[in-house]
Amino acid sequence: MAPPPSTAQKSPSPSQPSGKSEVSDLKLQLRQLAGSRAPGADDSKRDLFKRVISYMTVGIDVSAAFSEMVMCSATSDIVLKKMCYLYVGNYARCHPDLALLTINFLQKDCRDEDPMIRGLALRSLCSLRVPNLVEYLVAPLGSGLKDGSSYVRMVAALGVLKLYHISAATCFDSDFPVMLKSLMLTDPDAQVVANCLLVLQEIWNLEANKSEEASREREALLSKQIIYYLLNRIKEFNEWAQCLILELVSKYIPSDSNDIFDIMNLLEDRLQHANGAVVLATIKVFLHLTMSMNDVHQQVYERLKAPLLTLVGSGSSEQSYAVLSHLHLLVMRAPMLFSSDYKHFYCQFSDPSYVKKLKLEMLTAIANESNTYEIVTELCEYAGNVDVPIARESIRAVGKIALQQYDVNAIVDRLLQFLEMEKDYITAETLVLVKDLLRKYPQWSHDCIAVVGNISSKNVQEPKAKAALIWMLGEYSQDMPDAPYILESLIENWDEENAAEVRLHLLTAAMKCFFKRPPETQKALGAALAAGQADTHQDVHDRALLYYRLLQYDVSVAERVVNPPKQAVSVFADTQSSEVKDRIFDEFNSLSVVYQKPSYMFTDKEHRGPFEFSEEMGNLSLGQESMDNTPRYDESDKDLLLGTSEKEENGAPSANGSTASGYSAPHDYNSSLVSLSSQTRPEPATSDPSLPKHSSHGNIAIDDLLGLGVPAAPTTPPLSLNPKAALDPGTFQRKWGQLVISISQECSIDPQGVAVLTTPQALIRHMQASSIQCIASGGQSPNFKFFFFAQKDDKSPSYFLVECIISTAAGKAQVKVKADDASASEAFFALFQSALSKFGML
Amino acid sequence: MLQCVFFLSDSGEVMLEKQMTAHRVDRSICSWFWDYVLSQGGDPSKILPVIASPTHYLFQLYRDGIIFLACTQVEMPPLMGIEFLCRVADVLSDYLGGLNEDLIKDNFVIVYELLDEMMDNGIPLTTEPNILREMIAPPNIVSKMLSVVTGKNSNVSSKLPDATASCIPWRKTNLKNASNEVYVNLVEEMDAIFNRDGSLVKCEIYGEVQVNSHLPGLPDLTLSFSNSSILNDVRFHPCVRFRPWESDQILSFVPPDGEFKLMSYRVKNLKSTPIYVKPQLISDAGNCRVTVLVGIRNDPGKTIDSITVEFQLPFCVASANLTSNHGTVNILADKTCSWSIGQIPKDKSPSLSGNLVLVTGLEKLHMFPVFQVGFRIMGAALSGLQIHKLDIKNAPTQPYKGFRALTRSGEYEVRS
Repeated sequence: MAPPPSTAQKSPSPSQPSGKSEVSDLKLQLRQLAGSRAPGADDSKRDLFKRVISYMTVGIDVSAAFSEMVMCSATSDIVLKKMCYLYVGNYARCHPDLALLTINFLQKDCRDEDPMIRGLALRSLCSLRVPNLVEYLVAPLGSGLKDGSSYVRMVAALGVLKLYHISAATCFDSDFPVMLKSLMLTDPDAQVVANCLLVLQEIWNLEANKSEEASREREALLSKQIIYYLLNRIKEFNEWAQCLILELVSKYIPSDSNDIFDIMNLLEDRLQHANGAVVLATIKVFLHLTMSMNDVHQQVYERLKAPLLTLVGSGSSEQSYAVLSHLHLLVMRAPMLFSSDYKHFYCQFSDPSYVKKLKLEMLTAIANESNTYEIVTELCEYAGNVDVPIARESIRAVGKIALQQYDVNAIVDRLLQFLEMEKDYITAETLVLVKDLLRKYPQWSHDCIAVVGNISSKNVQEPKAKAALIWMLGEYSQDMPDAPYILESLIENWDEENAAEVRLHLLTAAMKCFFKRPPETQKALGAALAAGQADTHQDVHDRALLYYRLLQYDVSVAERVVNPPKQAVSVFADTQSSEVKDRIFDEFNSLSVVYQKPSYMFTDKEHRGPFEFSEEMGNLSLGQESMDNTPRYDESDKDLLLGTSEKEENGAPSANGSTASGYSAPHDYNSSLVSLSSQTRPEPATSDPSLPKHSSHGNIAIDDLLGLGVPAAPTTPPLSLNPKAALDPGTFQRKWGQLVISISQECSIDPQGVAVLTTPQALIRHMQASSIQCIASGGQSPNFKFFFFAQKDDKSPSYFLVECIISTAAGKAQVKVKADDASASEAFFALFQSALSKFGML
Repeated sequence: MLQCVFFLSDSGEVMLEKQMTAHRVDRSICSWFWDYVLSQGGDPSKILPVIASPTHYLFQLYRDGIIFLACTQVEMPPLMGIEFLCRVADVLSDYLGGLNEDLIKDNFVIVYELLDEMMDNGIPLTTEPNILREMIAPPNIVSKMLSVVTGKNSNVSSKLPDATASCIPWRKTNLKNASNEVYVNLVEEMDAIFNRDGSLVKCEIYGEVQVNSHLPGLPDLTLSFSNSSILNDVRFHPCVRFRPWESDQILSFVPPDGEFKLMSYRVKNLKSTPIYVKPQLISDAGNCRVTVLVGIRNDPGKTIDSITVEFQLPFCVASANLTSNHGTVNILADKTCSWSIGQIPKDKSPSLSGNLVLVTGLEKLHMFPVFQVGFRIMGAALSGLQIHKLDIKNAPTQPYKGFRALTRSGEYEVRS
């Protein structure tokens, strides 16, 4: 809790005592009371304790009174005891020497005759978390597990987990896991069983990587016998324990279809539970069990619909948001099943906008022949909504439904009505949609153009909308009498146009218009090309120059290039690959669903759940999109959840989807950043759980920038590396394929380095300081794999490519070096090795 | 697994923190969160319930001016986090008789005690209010008085609740001094949406069967309805046995002591609504003429009271002048206009009329407000649900049984 810095950060407000003098005052008073057995001493103690705790609560460091508090702890009053436990639990960690003082009275309380005190004392004892006091824990825990009161056993079970986190060895030496296992299978109290299960799960999960036996034990928890034992008792458990058990069951692999139906029958009534967490956990079990049985899976969806829709309707908006996110996932997978329930997704005025947004997306997804009319009518109601972002969203939704080919006729009419509302943001959104519609349904051009032609370009300010309008002016200039003149006036105001996108479209539209109506447009085109070539924006300049030269070369060729006959677009690119969607579905009932990204995109590797990526070492598949996209400098950390290394592209939708790979692109602001796992979302919109820019990595990157070259300088190696080396993954992959291994060697890593290497990022940052960049990394403790590269800092840039497989268990690194210039690889390897050996030494 | 729970006031001040696991969450996360709230407009009730900070995932719940913030770094079911925070809020408001900053600050010791029992090592433990109340006595006036008189200060029963060991986790096994009565309340909320042409878009009722039971021993209750077929999407308190409902639509249960929500349900596709609200907005030349008529559409047979009509004036309205022939009209600083009518008088139908002046340069109104209607009908369940009978077995003497019904407006909206 209150670490001193937090007090320092906070400027003390007048209502908060600044600390010092009050604390010493309290110390004095406590000392006076410590030995007192006088009647009423407990009362004054209680007041004092309350004050101490209240200081602690507001964040003032009262750890100075530790020994006085301990002295006062001899009391029979349970509230006093509780306050004392709370205090001790808070400060023991930062005063391990003083914590020893508490052991005595806690151990005594562990033998108290009141089970509540025994339990509380044991809980506090385990929560001290002071490593050198572990020896005092074992005996009370052992007797706690055998205690007559279930309350104490329940506390003791969790105490074992706390002990495990302080000292795993002590935990195993005392045979606690074995005791827990037998307790789990025999204890009459459901909560004790649940706690044992929880502890065993966590211990075996963490141990599974280290020992065969542990992973066998982990498997054993998923055996039919244990699963059925727990399921048969499920009604005895409280709701939270039920969640835990259901989570376990969802990982169970049933032996046959009878098995599946037995479990589902057993759990069916859980779907009606009042606790949403239980319902969702049950749904997850159902979905996972039937994954392989296609027909049943569909029926399960039907069965799950009602409870989910109920959950959405009842409870607070926070709860319904979490449920809606899950419902959203199911709706996206099987829109047909929900098509008759569309009214559930109608927005209430008082819904928060994040809920409305999800509902709109679902309404869009479930629209089909039968309900389109109603849904679009409803969506049009929202367009006049006071909530502007939602009004925009709903117009977009109407457009998306139109692109799904239902009832286009009516929808086009509605969209055109929007244009007549003369509200700039509605006009803007509608224009963008009309453009997309025309690309798909050119046959509607006549109706649309008639209306669009009436819109004054002065009323359209948003770049996207302006670009759309200009595109239509160019594309349909033959149908719009004043198209050339509108374009001309827009070109005259070239300098006032800030968005490059609009200027680009203006150039193209002027060209198209010129091919159709040369005499009227010639002057405007000339002006546009001249302005374009003088433009400071590189793309605009280049496009203007290209057009100019094309026209110089041959006008008919230019027309074939700029305005070829177009085919109507049949399908617009889906923005989220199906693989990503499947992965999110696998992680049902987890945060992934709420964030709409699979967990590997936002959690640290060390915190990742059981759904691991199959890490195919050596099979490095790099993102396909990196071939056609130039490497991106992605400065904003907007889409990064928790500042982990995995990034997603925040750019234009790439149709070729993502190559999900377990390797993560490093954070490297000096060189190219390539995201291997890419996923684009349709809108980087406000309500997304996007992050502020000041993520920790940003800072580190800046530190690196500032500190560049400094670590390398003192060593002055014969070979100097380019600190700003850049290489895109495509080239890396090609080079790796072409070049031969010049050095393959094993080197050892400093034990300190091993200790620091919990995530690949630690090493990546370290190597970066020595001008060695990482292009891809992956793996999990104890095995990591990295691909590094570096560039020689001279006129003929030659690259060094490194594959480095590190086993922290062995403290060894297997390094393979390939180089453009094989003669320099020795020198480079020396440099690499020295950088690697320094890892972990600070 | 939640690592830490913070309570924040609605000005962003940390009121309380409770670390749950060995991983200590620094308080700085709260200032990050508060910056985030400010960046999103500063209204904590409009913030996403699940957000990601650079270091932690955060669950947040806003109730009565208090933000409940939970942090974790591991993947976990989001509803578990949110549901838990809801329970914390419910239990606290139950214990403290409401929720506000002062109540929490005055009773922080009790809050700590409660959190201690509700969660251990980041895992929710006991959240059942009936059981908690036996472990930690609520700070009521009686116990304060007693402590003054007797000088005995402990506000905790020295005995552990038996329920932790019983097969019926929601009930203490040997309740003795109960007043031997049971009340069943049907509380319904009507959600309806009307379009601008007055057509009914959707109309549903969300209802709850609330039971207040003070029965001795281990009573076994069965409750049946005369028209249970109208019920959709039912959800039950853990005490309800599933099979009797599956086969005969009978609620069979051993009740917890005190008040609890036995069941919730939904009745869909209703056609009749008790009152109508007809708004009309005609705008021209920078002005907008508003009239709103309210009246009874289908008389439910009981008095409709506490009728209110609320709407948000669009931001392009510069000034408004609204009067009514019945009730009072208030325009608040945030441009919310609320008209409280109360009961509809017999001799006239209430109407609100007036003029809105639009901001200069705007000819016509393009954004139309949604009118939110509130009402209450005592003694009637508009869904038509009727209780057939309530049987009590295992009762030493026949207890007193009471039934009540109430319908109020939920999201009753009229678009204009």
